[in-house]
Amino acid sequence: MRRYLRIIGTFIAAEAKNEMAYRANLALGVVEMVLVIGTSLGAVLVLFTHTTSLNGWTLAQMIALTGVYYLIQGGVALIFNPSFEKLMEHVRMGTLDFTLLKPANAQVLLSTRHFALIRVADLVMGFGVVIVGLYMLSASVTAWSLVSFALTLACGVMLVYALLLSLVTLSFWFVRIDNIMAIFWAFTDAGRFPIDLYPGWLRFTLATVVPIGIAVTVPAEAISGRMSYETFIGMLVGTVLAVAAASWFWRIGLRNYTGASA
Amino acid sequence: MSDRVVEVSGLRKIYKVHERQSGLGATVRSLVKRTFKEVQAVAGIDFAIEQGEVVGFLGPNGAGKTTTLKMLSGLLYPTSGTATVLGYTPWDRRDEYLRRMTLLMGNRTQLVWDIPAADSFLVLKEIFQIDDKSYQRRFDDLVELLELGPLIHKPVRQLSLGERMKVEFAAGLLHAPEVVFLDEPTLGLDVSMQVRIRGFVRELNKRTGATVLLTSHYMDDIVALCKRVIVIHHGRLLYDGGLADLAERMAPYKLVAATLRDGAADADLSKYGEIVSRDAGRVTLRVPRAQAADQTARIVGDLGPDLADLTLEDPAIEEVIDRVFSGDHPFGTPEREPVAAR
Amino acid sequence: MTLARIYRALLLAGFQQAAQYRIQSLLWMLFAIIRPVIFLAAWIAVAVAQGGDIGGFKVGDFAAYYVCMTFVSQLTMAWNSHEFEWEVNQGRLSAKLLRPLHPLHYSVVENLVFKLNTLPVLGVVLILVSISFGAIYRTQVWHIIAFIPSVILAAALLFMFNWVIATLAFWATRMRTANTLFQRTLFIFAGQIAPIGLMPGWLQAVSYALPFWYMMGAPTEILRGGVTQEQVAQILIGQSVWLAITFVAFQWIWRRGVRAYSAVGA
Repeated sequence: MRRYLRIIGTFIAAEAKNEMAYRANLALGVVEMVLVIGTSLGAVLVLFTHTTSLNGWTLAQMIALTGVYYLIQGGVALIFNPSFEKLMEHVRMGTLDFTLLKPANAQVLLSTRHFALIRVADLVMGFGVVIVGLYMLSASVTAWSLVSFALTLACGVMLVYALLLSLVTLSFWFVRIDNIMAIFWAFTDAGRFPIDLYPGWLRFTLATVVPIGIAVTVPAEAISGRMSYETFIGMLVGTVLAVAAASWFWRIGLRNYTGASA
Repeated sequence: MSDRVVEVSGLRKIYKVHERQSGLGATVRSLVKRTFKEVQAVAGIDFAIEQGEVVGFLGPNGAGKTTTLKMLSGLLYPTSGTATVLGYTPWDRRDEYLRRMTLLMGNRTQLVWDIPAADSFLVLKEIFQIDDKSYQRRFDDLVELLELGPLIHKPVRQLSLGERMKVEFAAGLLHAPEVVFLDEPTLGLDVSMQVRIRGFVRELNKRTGATVLLTSHYMDDIVALCKRVIVIHHGRLLYDGGLADLAERMAPYKLVAATLRDGAADADLSKYGEIVSRDAGRVTLRVPRAQAADQTARIVGDLGPDLADLTLEDPAIEEVIDRVFSGDHPFGTPEREPVAAR
Repeated sequence: MTLARIYRALLLAGFQQAAQYRIQSLLWMLFAIIRPVIFLAAWIAVAVAQGGDIGGFKVGDFAAYYVCMTFVSQLTMAWNSHEFEWEVNQGRLSAKLLRPLHPLHYSVVENLVFKLNTLPVLGVVLILVSISFGAIYRTQVWHIIAFIPSVILAAALLFMFNWVIATLAFWATRMRTANTLFQRTLFIFAGQIAPIGLMPGWLQAVSYALPFWYMMGAPTEILRGGVTQEQVAQILIGQSVWLAITFVAFQWIWRRGVRAYSAVGA
């Protein structure tokens, strides 16, 4: 275990140096995120000039949800996106073997190779927005809501991880899955609002196939004190199952791949 | 006096390059302050080219040949100096000029990837306003010359590098340009394709009288195509003249290779000339041109039956060029005035 | 005229090329639909909470607005600001500069081909969305007549503006930020998050002054039948003025951009 942490540590150091060298990137990346989050909040505010509740969600709760939305995106983008992109490229180019020969668990190595440190800024800002929402909610914040928030947030990130891992595993068979990925990215936009807002088919999709909806809505419910115990248990169990299924799928894909090139 | 198609005077190009250093400390410092240095890519060159010539620009990587070519084709404007091609200032990029010239860069695709080249050609036909009859004629000629056959009807994406290059060439020549700029045309191609491309360029020049300026760091390209060579190094023109003259002036010696029989393999031949190599009984000597005949005769006479074989050669052109680039020549270094020989 | 022949040849080649990317084109359409559906769902929730009507907009009006918005967005969209940077780096721009045709023409054709290819399918999907959400259209014949020049002006305006942004690629090494800024500005001001009539007063005023609403929101309202004749006239004038300004700006920045590019070569 310590070995993995050390490896990940060197990855972080290498990326840090790399990214500092592109000074404009850093500053601009931050500016971009401020723009994106700011305008998204603006959209929410415009909606709330005409109402005090959006399907039962108050402004404070919606702000918290927006924060969670960008938190999840930031967290996933930070840790997983670049590595997954590289992984798919490796599969396409047939250079995956190189990594597979390294004596550390392929899944971990591949998942964390390239941290996009700019995404730390996303995380920080996401947190900032959640804090603002929290402040506005301050009356109803309890220890339970904080704890359950942290747990369901972690579950949310892991759910998206499971999704990405499964998608990437598909690339073992389809090689070019850009189109499939594009479909899923289109759906992630729907995470900006609570999923109970959407028509049935979309709600279903956002709870299962593209779990971004659940990943954002449940932690937002947790921090807002709206979450039921059933939802909480369901989230934990569902996440464990999803990650297990995705890892199993990955192992199958890996076996299939190495078998093929032997 | 035949028409001068290209006239270049005092052409100079200076770039500002941002200096980057390694190490975390330097990287942090560069976040606050950037340093630049000036790089002289082309340091003032003059030459003129007449219609129908095939001229090679020779020089190591970074010498300034591609920069010069880009200025002459109009993609780049100089820091100072003048150039006219067909009477136009290239970097104005006037339509009339663009219709009469073409720039072909090895390894670069300008055709649309996903459709057959033939279909891209039809677009070029309209852009260059080629009439139907001329188009058909040139199309047929190019297909024949370049052996394009079935290639033009396959999507460009599906062609190999060599095939793609041929098709790109055809695309660049559809409008029958009078001046053809070729930048590293055989880069990345296998040997047989290189030979074919050279043959094609030679044929093109012969049939259409187009003036060809080509840059290459492959000696074989230059040797095969160019009677006249312009050597550029560190942005300066070191030599402008015939390739054969270059060899003679640069390397006023001949190589004598004597193969000795087993018994006499150790014989000392240093009195006949400078020993260049000694390899299992075969000794290669560098002998000044004037003395070559005499020394050869003397070797034959002195060694008699110990001599198994004797050859007399001109120095390899690569060696000549290497010496030019390494500064070991009478033509002046980048610090001194270059000498143009004609 | 030669330009007509050039366009014909470019269009032909363009359609051939587009045939290879059918799936990608359809996917882009999917992107185009999801966001409006998301915001429509949100506004419906707001309307329901307020008793079914907000500022004159019933649920059916919102549905009509977002269906029209999707249609108009597809008709007016442009994406050069994303691709130009790549073209510059790949050296493809150099090849275009050495041909006697302004590089802009290639992109006009590319734009037209994509739209012509995707609109039919989008149209069908939108009809289905319309029905399922119970969209109410208040369109009259003169609305449709006015819509045609309006959407053409809007498309030209967005295209030209997009090119102004794209040209920044000559100087900026990182176009992503410029693109994000542009996209988010469109997000706020073009009418995607709300019909302009429902924006807070000050935001409305700013939206009328800026060019972005004229690129999407304005023709949308015309198509939906949500404006009077007087308002239509104002819209057309506003679009023309902004188009002229943007065109001049583009000429200026393009010339300087190419000059800067020729200082460094490709």
